[in-house]
Amino acid sequence: MKVLGVSYGYHDSAACLVVDGQVVAASAEERFSRQKHDANFPTHAVRWCLDQSSLSAADLDQVVFHEDPHAKFSRVLCAALAPFPGSRREFVNSMKAWLGKKLWAIDTISSRLDVAPDKVSYLGHHFSHAVQAFMGSGFDESAILVVDAVGDWACSALYRGSWKDGRPLVERVLEVAYPNSLGLVYSAFTAWLGFSPNDSECSTMAMAGFGTPKYADEVRKIILPADDTVYQVDQSYFNFQSFYRGAYTKKLTDAFGPARKTTDPIPFASFGEQGEVSADAQRWADVAASLQLVLEERVLELCARLKREVPSDNLCYAGGVAMNCVCNSRILRDGPFRNVHIPPDPGDGGTAVSTALFYDATKSAAQAGPTTYGPYLGAGYDEASDVALADHFDPEHAIPYLKRGVVSKGRKWTRQTFADDAALCDDVSRRLAEGAIVGWYQGRFELGPRALGNRSILIRADDVPLAQRLSRLVKERAAFRPYALAMTLEDAPRILEISPEHLHVARWMQYAFGVRPEVAARVAAGLHVDGTTRAQVATAEEAPLFHSLLTAYGQRTGLSVLINTSYNPSGYPLVSTPVDAMTMFARTDMDVLVVNRSVLVK
Amino acid sequence: MWSAIENLKIRLSLALTWRSPERVASAIRGFQVTEADGVWHLHRAIERLEDPRTKAVIFTHGLEEECHADVFGSVQRLYAGGLSSPMHFERKDLYAADDPAWKIFAFVNVGELDATQRFRLLRGALPEGPLRDALKSIIDDEEGHVHLTYDMLRRMGASPGEIRVEFVKVRLSRAWEAWLRVGKRMVDGLATVLLSLVYFLLGPFVARAARRRLEHRVVEFDSAHLKHL
Repeated sequence: MKVLGVSYGYHDSAACLVVDGQVVAASAEERFSRQKHDANFPTHAVRWCLDQSSLSAADLDQVVFHEDPHAKFSRVLCAALAPFPGSRREFVNSMKAWLGKKLWAIDTISSRLDVAPDKVSYLGHHFSHAVQAFMGSGFDESAILVVDAVGDWACSALYRGSWKDGRPLVERVLEVAYPNSLGLVYSAFTAWLGFSPNDSECSTMAMAGFGTPKYADEVRKIILPADDTVYQVDQSYFNFQSFYRGAYTKKLTDAFGPARKTTDPIPFASFGEQGEVSADAQRWADVAASLQLVLEERVLELCARLKREVPSDNLCYAGGVAMNCVCNSRILRDGPFRNVHIPPDPGDGGTAVSTALFYDATKSAAQAGPTTYGPYLGAGYDEASDVALADHFDPEHAIPYLKRGVVSKGRKWTRQTFADDAALCDDVSRRLAEGAIVGWYQGRFELGPRALGNRSILIRADDVPLAQRLSRLVKERAAFRPYALAMTLEDAPRILEISPEHLHVARWMQYAFGVRPEVAARVAAGLHVDGTTRAQVATAEEAPLFHSLLTAYGQRTGLSVLINTSYNPSGYPLVSTPVDAMTMFARTDMDVLVVNRSVLVK
Repeated sequence: MWSAIENLKIRLSLALTWRSPERVASAIRGFQVTEADGVWHLHRAIERLEDPRTKAVIFTHGLEEECHADVFGSVQRLYAGGLSSPMHFERKDLYAADDPAWKIFAFVNVGELDATQRFRLLRGALPEGPLRDALKSIIDDEEGHVHLTYDMLRRMGASPGEIRVEFVKVRLSRAWEAWLRVGKRMVDGLATVLLSLVYFLLGPFVARAARRRLEHRVVEFDSAHLKHL
């Protein structure tokens, strides 16, 4: 059976092809369109997915969309009408978008792909998230938690998942309806902090590390606990209908003070010296810390309720809030479940995978059972033809177009191709140990927002000035945002304060862990101000080449650990093709670019 | 003639939009996205070519266009003064896989020529400010790109006749796109009026029901989510 999963229309459009129960290809549209969080119909992702199996749309047995357009429309309509008479603009804008396009998503898919309308079906948005959490977990049965901004009507949901007669059975236990949304509250505070909602929630989480939760009681009045342990959001603080014109009301600024302007500097630094911290800056950080704490409390309460309803040892967790690695760590540490699974892309993009997998498992003639899939499902490219342009490229011509502050490093790039992986890893590990900023581009790109060793920028973890250079001249990234550490499975227990049974959950950079004091100085550039790090524990089975590189680096330096940050220019998605990678290499202060087995050096 | 019409259009739109920083920011965001779109097409061209020397020339061109997108992005943030909603273009392949690669440069050449003329007129009409400053160096670059892309067309073996025919096709296609945009704006305006009427006519009767619906906090389980499979 050949099933295509499709998600689009709000953010992070994606497509996934499942053939006979196996995920053949999956990618967000943004990787092809080069527009971060691209919401358009995933034309290029679909075409690439089909090309992977030399299929055309006519060969597909079914196309499955990730949400119910009619249910979502009813929610949008109610939300736009409820504030009458003060919501004309919101009503007009949302109805134009919905009546003009979004309501007809099934017809659009049918006509875009030229497949019969009865070949297109859909699942509810949160149900898609629920199966997204469960389908790749490998669990026989599990409790399922979805915490998101909003889908159709649900904002958070509890489910029960199991396999029965070779078919997945995912049953809804409870849903918390719009506008009671933890994700939207977090995004509204993100806007209050001067960051882009639906994009920079990670900045809010990073900012929380610099504050103390002294406003927690005020935030608890906004995200109220209720008798049934399911939170309730006080709507008088927010205006969820128009995030970019004003996501919050005057009541929020009365409670927490004036919002941060997007241009206000942030004096914090996750490593190195701190700037002088103004009272306002400290207030922003304290509010972020309070919000983070209350979010964790409410999610843990949902976990407790879920455990009561579904007394399983296993938890599968998805939705946009499942990208909050600090909250995830609380669930792992303080939650009632022994085993936790979060899919590689817990956001909307990942629902393209789950809908296709679920349909296949439900409808195919063959019975299925617990399965798993990893993150390396995107496109890979043969680099030889494109990398050869480096021999004719004169970096002098690019000097006026370098990123601000970057100084040209000479007239020519050198190019070398390695015959085997061992020699490649030996050479690159030497360069890393010498303090180079290395773009590491290998094989198929990752599904989801994390660079996990196939589209990564790597540096040594003990060199704080090097990390500052990386932030300033390569990533154009604020100093308060910390970097993540990638390490081998073998060395992880020497570095992280982690119990052995949790080592495998740290493979996709979804949790923050404490670092052992005896190695803290050796990973200083990868520590947040609170002494934690977002860790990727690489295994030889799942990421063999990246594991080999880390191992080679460990043999040189005594510890197999590197800073691993995503290979993307500021404001763009992860690089996709070798040309994308070379473009960022050319314009920034990177020293070395490794594209498969070709190495370019400035 | 084109220039006079375009000049009038730019002066009119400046008179209408320049008072609103929000609209100026949105217009600049449009420039940014258009430049980034140019980079995207150039990169697709690189992937289709064989000669590394030609690839290198286009690669450098792409760096310049990406830099322009960055410059417009910085200026846009100055005018916006706050958060902006995302703007995504639907990327469309210009030509089929078996079309000759030089056709992409015909498209890029016409686009660069139009952009150069438009930016020059815009700069002449703008008051002093960061956008006017940014446009100066961008116009110089774009003029260079017009020559470069024409040179690429010849270098890749397109005859003058083929080039002329392709230019006409591209211009017709751009004119059609422009007409569609005008049509979309007209429909958009009409929709705004009609939907506003609907809002004020129906709002008083349905707003209470909508508010009641939003009061449901916890929803009980049902199996409706499976029925569409």
